[in-house]
Order: sequence, then structure tokens, then C-alpha cells
Amino acid sequence: MDKVDVIIVGGGLAGLSCAYELADSGMTILVLERGDFSGSKNVTGGRLYLRPLLNYLPDIWKDAPLERHVTKEILTFMGKENSTTFELYSNRFNQEPYPSYTILRAKFDRWFADLVSEKGIFVIPQKNVDDLIRDGEKIIGVRTDGEEIGADCVVAADGILSFMAEKAGLRKPFHPQHVALGFKEVIALDSKIIEDRFRLAGNEGAAQLFLGSLTKGVMGGGFLYTNQQSLSLGIVVGIHSLNQKEPRLEVYKFLDEFKERPEIKNLVKGGEVVEYSAHLITEGGIHTMPKLYADGMLVTGDAAGLGLNMLVTVRGMEYAMVSGVLAGRTIKIAKEKNDFSASTLSHYEKLLSESFILKEMNHFKYTPMVLNNERLFNQYPQAISDLFEKVMWVDEKPKEGIYKTKIKELKRQFFNLKTFKDWWQFRKI
Amino acid sequence: MPNDIWVLTEHQDGRVRKITFELLSASTQFSKKTGGEVTAVLLGNGIQETAKILIPFADKILLMEDPALTVYTSDAYLPNIVSLIQEHKPSILLGGATSTGKDLFPRLAMHLQTGYVPDCTNLSVGEDGRLTALRPLYGGKVFAEMTFSDDRPQMATVRNNTFIVSQNLNKSAQVIAVPFQADRNLLKKKVLGIEKTGGTKLDISEADIVVAAGRGIKAPENFKILEELADVLNASVGTTRAVVDEGWRDQKDQIGKSGKNISAKLYMAFGISGAIHHVLGIGTCKTVVAVDIDPNALIFNYADYGIVGDLFQIVPALTEELKKVLKE
Amino acid sequence: MEIYVLVKQVPDPEATVKVKTDSELEIENKYFTNFFDEIAIEAALRLKEKFGGKVTVLTVDNRRVDALRRGVSMGADDAVQLTDPAIEGSDPFSIAKVLAAYLKDKAFDLILTGRQAMDDDAGIIGPAVAEWLGIPHVNAIIGLEVEDPTKEVRVIREVEGGKETLTCPLPALFTCQKGLYTPRIPQVMNVMKAMKAQIKKVDLSAIGLTPNDVGSHSAKIKLNKYFPPPKRPPVRMIKDDFPENVRTLVRLLREEAKVI
Repeated sequence: MDKVDVIIVGGGLAGLSCAYELADSGMTILVLERGDFSGSKNVTGGRLYLRPLLNYLPDIWKDAPLERHVTKEILTFMGKENSTTFELYSNRFNQEPYPSYTILRAKFDRWFADLVSEKGIFVIPQKNVDDLIRDGEKIIGVRTDGEEIGADCVVAADGILSFMAEKAGLRKPFHPQHVALGFKEVIALDSKIIEDRFRLAGNEGAAQLFLGSLTKGVMGGGFLYTNQQSLSLGIVVGIHSLNQKEPRLEVYKFLDEFKERPEIKNLVKGGEVVEYSAHLITEGGIHTMPKLYADGMLVTGDAAGLGLNMLVTVRGMEYAMVSGVLAGRTIKIAKEKNDFSASTLSHYEKLLSESFILKEMNHFKYTPMVLNNERLFNQYPQAISDLFEKVMWVDEKPKEGIYKTKIKELKRQFFNLKTFKDWWQFRKI
Repeated sequence: MPNDIWVLTEHQDGRVRKITFELLSASTQFSKKTGGEVTAVLLGNGIQETAKILIPFADKILLMEDPALTVYTSDAYLPNIVSLIQEHKPSILLGGATSTGKDLFPRLAMHLQTGYVPDCTNLSVGEDGRLTALRPLYGGKVFAEMTFSDDRPQMATVRNNTFIVSQNLNKSAQVIAVPFQADRNLLKKKVLGIEKTGGTKLDISEADIVVAAGRGIKAPENFKILEELADVLNASVGTTRAVVDEGWRDQKDQIGKSGKNISAKLYMAFGISGAIHHVLGIGTCKTVVAVDIDPNALIFNYADYGIVGDLFQIVPALTEELKKVLKE
Repeated sequence: MEIYVLVKQVPDPEATVKVKTDSELEIENKYFTNFFDEIAIEAALRLKEKFGGKVTVLTVDNRRVDALRRGVSMGADDAVQLTDPAIEGSDPFSIAKVLAAYLKDKAFDLILTGRQAMDDDAGIIGPAVAEWLGIPHVNAIIGLEVEDPTKEVRVIREVEGGKETLTCPLPALFTCQKGLYTPRIPQVMNVMKAMKAQIKKVDLSAIGLTPNDVGSHSAKIKLNKYFPPPKRPPVRMIKDDFPENVRTLVRLLREEAKVI
């Protein structure tokens, strides 16, 4: 059997980051990607938070194809016929190093793969890994399209449904509760129009989140990100929550109807849909993570369940990249000792827990539970907009005092036992 | 002669292919502008009767008969056509985008160091005799208008059904027998035989009407209902890559990017989803009808008429209705 | 046997291609080895497996060599890139001239290539190179039988309504059609070797050509303008129930479209 030093299964952010970390190690590194090229099967909302990455991948950002740096954060609560928007603009977000950038995965991952290839790493597309090869309990290689290739270490970076983690017996069975479905359109729009509509200067960007009637009572929300010459518009829904709805709702209609809302229609007017994609998102949190290492194997990125719903944002990409780097560092240590056993590779988990990744996943471990509350998606967003609407409405009748209006509405919607309980739960996030 | 337009005749078993009549008709229109003559070039063996069929369609017929020309080979055709061209110096040479045209014309153009545009979907000629050709690129995703250098003749092969056959060209061609001019020692290839497939029906790339089924047909034996429909319409039966890859139909019936382009007057697609590699093969069909059980099937984006329905119900009903209507 | 395979890198059939200006196209950056050329590579490799010898892949491209690497990863022995700034803007006839100029002093038994490239769909290179080299050619073969490579070979090509069998002596050039073979998928280890493989770069002066022989000024055919594909009017869905819909369709085809 032919052999290399490390086989990384999956050429997404986790896999490529691991490869990048190992690029100067002198080892022969093979990345096997099942898509036509890196990025062809990857999706994000989305935006990348750069600052957590600077300690782990400090020098790739100068030439990286990033879209706009986000200076405007927008939160919209949607009722059925109304919506309320909070918009934050901060000079602080407009200072380098910029905290976050919107990105397009097909562009970014592809560029990253080229960068990694230039460093002598073999990134081979159109290769699906069928199985792991074992020697007893030890993982010693992979089988791809019938070809067997050996390695000291196999890195599972093959995404949320990780076949590799499953084959290695590391992954727990999947529950619909742990998974959300995100689907989006990329809508091409002239950059000047984007800057006008969102009131941005130069390469500034906006990130907008939507909560409320757009998901028809299903747990989830909408998002809109400005790229340089396009908008990323999409919706995320929790699978478990979706399954509970009777009759069965057709998810692809959500986005069509969302686009019909005047709040959205006017933002995307004149744009051309150039891409439609969907992807599963891991939201199970720290409790549903698989085992992260075995004899001859490490698990990174979505495959390791490293993803988080922080309510105001969904994290995954930074975790993927950093976990890839940490896996790379662990492999370097193992190579020096020439020992790829589980006990040596367990160092990877130690590195993860010392990093922001597991710390954050711990802080937000109750999020899935707290978010499993229909009122967050049905009632409260509607209530906020209704309150605002009542306050702003003037007609033939003599207008009531503002305070009175507010109190009446607050009493109706918010001052009740259920809401108090919900508020109590919110402390956990 | 400086403004003459020549058409290479495509023929088989005494029958002249329709593309030749289309090109002769178009050439007549062009020659009205340029003032030249329209000549049909006919190479073969035992083709006296074939030549007669062409008489109403051209001003001149250059007839070359020889056993070595019985079946087309570039070895035998090329040197003969070259010497004819060098003698008579036509301005334009047209041929069909057929197996012969595609095999011969590029080589001929290279030999004569002249321009050649393949697989054209339109041609026009200026008063100065300059040819402009329109052809599809990238499988038909874009079209390119091409012009020629000053080298002559300007050569082009043309797709079926690009031009309409005109029956009233008011011509009576002079048939001129020309001698075989190639060095027989240089004839290297030998045709051993042709295995006819497809029975009496025309090849899908030539047929005026094509009916096709995709995966929706579910099993190879079900093609029978399509054959019956094809019989009523005098159509040929095509299919998609998916069906060919399953082994249900032969590669020669495949319509699409890695199969054939068809330029039918009427194309009917049954149970074909409309994947891009298929629809690129039907772009130049005049009228497209699509029948599929899925109302969202992509094929409807490329059709003129559509029915959402079960092909197993629609096709036999269509056959019956057509039998009735066409009898009248 | 000494076999050369002419290969080209073309946009994926699924890549979007749009008209940007009259003379420019916007093409999605998804380039792969031309499918028909892969079939040619496969044919060459099978002959090498049967008779021994060498397979060289050859391309004319100033930018991309992935098609060459693909050939090497499938099993070709050598890769040659004909590249020169003067080649920019050449028409297919000039490209054929470049290929022929390289091949004319090589002792080859067979040249194989795809029946057309899936970008310009022209099918000119194969026959044009054969003409320039003065060797016989057969277009769009779907069968190839070689018993004794020093004698003649048997090929089958598609013609309208059938399949034609011919004999042809070597050296010759054949263009390959779908159905001849299914190209093998390269193994990972071979892809890795191909990624590191040395590619021989050859310019015009090395093959005895000057910039005047190629490029846009020596082109025999010129692009005037690009057009987007003609738009069909939106489909007319026949909404009647069965069997009225069938009757309506026939009526429309007869009276409106006038095709039956």
C-alpha cells in the first residue's frame, strides 16, 4: 500500500487550515476533497470573524478574497405585517484590524486551496473517501475509489455528516434536534447600489439578522449579508422544530415568501439570483460532540460538531479553521515522538479546551435548550413590532398617552408567567 | 469564377440529403446579391440518376464518377475537390455539418489555406461576396458571428434546417462531367462496409421531427410507445445521456452535449428533466414541446409548449389524435 | 508504439458562459480536460498497455497545463506545453500549424485527439493537423482495433444512419467520439506524481515558426461579434385536463406552429 504522512479527508476550512499548519513540516500531506474544487460544496451565511483567527493563521489575510468588512449590525424582529429594526453602526468596527468580513465560500475556499497547494500540499479534488483502513483498532489509512493509501494520521475534516467519524466509531447517532438547515441565495447587485441601499462607504458591509414570522413559528431566523457585488440572503431552520409542524411545511417556500416581504423586496430589487445553496448546520452544542481523536485519527471542524448558535450569530468557520490548525500542531508533536496513538493525539482536545472554541461552546451550552421556545419566533418579535406600531399609530380617535399605550401592550404580551420563565432561561445564554 | 457558390452534395444510396437542397436554395438567394452561379459538386459512383435530382436546384453540376469515390473518404475526395477549386476558383464552398462535412472541410481548408467556419446556424453574404457566418460556442451558450480573410473559397458547414428548401428556383443545371484527378497510390483508407442502424428512419441529426424520452420512460421496452408516435409523425426517436448510460438505447440516439445536436422543425421531449447538457443539443430546434410529470422540470424553460402530465397517458393519446388529424 | 495525444483544457459544460461585450465573454472559472480528449488519452493508454511504447500528451496553451497533468495522472509518460505569447489570438488553423510543426520531426505511430473541444465545438484541429503532416485521418471514431501496429488498423466511425468500418494505415490521426472508451479515473498516487511532473515548455522558435505564422493577423476566420443565445418566448403551458390537453396540443402544432 502506498503511504503518505497525513491524509486529510475534506478540503474545506478545517482541512485546509490543518494542511496549512503542516505545510512547513516536511511531511507529505494529502487533502482529499469530494467536490470539483474546494468551496464547491461549502456554504456560509455568512461572515468570518477574523480576530480569533489572527493568533492561529496570522499571515494569510493580506491577499485573501474577503468581501466587505462589517461595520453595520442590524437586527430585525418580524411580525406578520410589520417589523422593527435595530441598527448599530460603530466607528470601532471600522478600525483595522476589522473584526469581521463577509465572505463567499466558493471564492475563499478555492483561493485557500490554491495557497495550500502552492506550499507543496497535494489537494486532490473529485475524490470521495469510501472507508478507513485499520490495523486492529488503529487507523492506518483510507480507501478512495478502490485505491488504498496509508497514513500515520487521518484527519476527519469531512463536514457535519462526517462519514469518517462515523466509520471510526467516534460519532454519536444524529438527532434532528442537533441540526439546522440553512439555505440561501446569492443575489448579484451592483456595488454602488448595495452601498446606497445600506448606506455604506467604500468597502464597508452590513450584516442583518431576522427573527420572527419569516420562519412561521419554526425555530430559526433569516440573514442578509452584503458582499462586494452581491447579497447573501437566506434562512436557517431547526430540523426538529420543523418536523413538529403539522402540516409539513415546505422549506423552500420560506425563502420565496421572505423575498416577497416589502422589507426584503426593496433591498434586493434589480438583483439577479446567481447561486442557490443549502447546507446542514450543527447546533447541538458541546453535549453532542463526538470523540475527537482515536489511534491514528483526529476530528476537526463540523465533523467534530464544532459549531454554535449564539443567537446573534452562528459560529462554525472560525472553529473549523482553528481546530484544523490545532490538529496540525498536534500532528507535528506526534510526528516528533513518532507516536500517533490516541493518548498522544489526545493533546488535540487539550489544545481545544484551552482555546476560545471549547470555552465558548461551554458558555453557550444551554442555547439549544433556550432556543427551543416557540414564543421566541412567534410571539415576541410580533409583540415588539405591535408595540412600536401602536405607539406610532395616529388616527381619528384621540391618541392615548404613550406610557399608557406601552403599558397596556407590555401587560398583554410580556407581563405574564410564561414570559418571566422565558426571561429566566435567557440568563443561561 | 469569382462569385460562384459551390455546394458539396451529400448523398447516399441514390438519395440526396435534404441539407444539400437547403444549401442550394440558400446559395441561390445569396447569388442574387453577388451575381455568381450556384454549382452542385457531386462525387460518387453510379450517380447519373442522383445528378438528375439536382438539376432544378443549381446552375451547374460538376459530376465526378469513379469507383474510388463510391463511399466518402477524405483521401479520395480531397485531392479531387482541390483540383476543381483550383481550376474554377469559387468564392464560397458550403457543405452540411454532417459526418462527411466535419471530416473533410477542416482538412480541405487547411490544405487550401483558407477560412472555414463549422456548424453554422446562419449565413449571410454581402454584395462584395463576403460571407458572414453565425455559429454556436460552448454548446450553444453563446453565438459568434465570424467573418473571413481574403482567402478563397470561404468555407462553411451548416446545420440542418437552417435554411428552407425552395422548390421554385427556376433553374436547370448544366451537368458537366469532370475527370478523377487523384493519385490512386495515395488512397490509403479503405471502407470495408457500413452497418446500418436505425432501420428506415433518419438519423436524429437529420430528421425534421424528433421525439425523445428520458429517464421518465422507466424501462427500455417502453420506448415502443415512442416508436409508434414516431411512425405517425415520420419522426426519428432520440434520447438522453441518462438512458444511453443505462444501456437502454444506443449512443447514436443521444441528444446533447456529448451526443448530437439536432435542428429539427419539431422536437418533443417526454419525461426529460431538462438538464443543461441535454437542452444545449436542442437549441436550434424550431418548435419544442415538453411533457413531464414534474411542473417544475427545467425542460419547460426551453419549450414552446408544455404539458404537465404522465407520458404513458399522453403519448398513446397523442398518437391516436395525430392519426385522426393527419388522415384529414 | 509512439503515441501523441492532443489535449485541451476547456470550461466545464456546466460552467456559466455569458456575453460581456461584443468581443469578450465572461466564463466561470471551472476548467477541466476536454471530455473527448480524455477518451483519446484512454485509447492511447490502452494501446500502450497492449504494445508497449510511450504516450505523450501535448497542448497549446499559454496559461493552463491541468489537462497535461490529467494525462500524466492517467498514465501518460510525457507532457509538452507549446506556449508563446505570439500564439494569443490564433484561430484553430494556426493552432494546428503549431502542433504540426512540433510533431513533424517526431517518429510517431499514432496521433489521437477528441472529436471537438467543448468550448469552440469546432472539430478543426484533428483533420487540420493530419493535413499539415500529410497523414491519413478518420473523424469521430467509436471503435479502434489494432492487431499489428506496423500494418493497418481498423476503425469504426459514426455516419448518418449507421456505423462505418474502415482500414487505415499508420501513421495516422484519429479523433475520438463518446462510446470509444470510458476514460479511467486517475488514482490518487498518480495524481500526486502528476502534480509534481516536469512539463516540457516549447516555444515557436524551437519549432521553426515565427510570430507571423500565428496570432490574429494570420487568422483565416475572425470574430466579429458575440451574441447571447436567441431567447425563446416563455413556454405556453397547456392547462386543460386530459384528454383535452392532447387535442389542444395537436391543434396548436398544426395551426399555430404549423409543424405538422
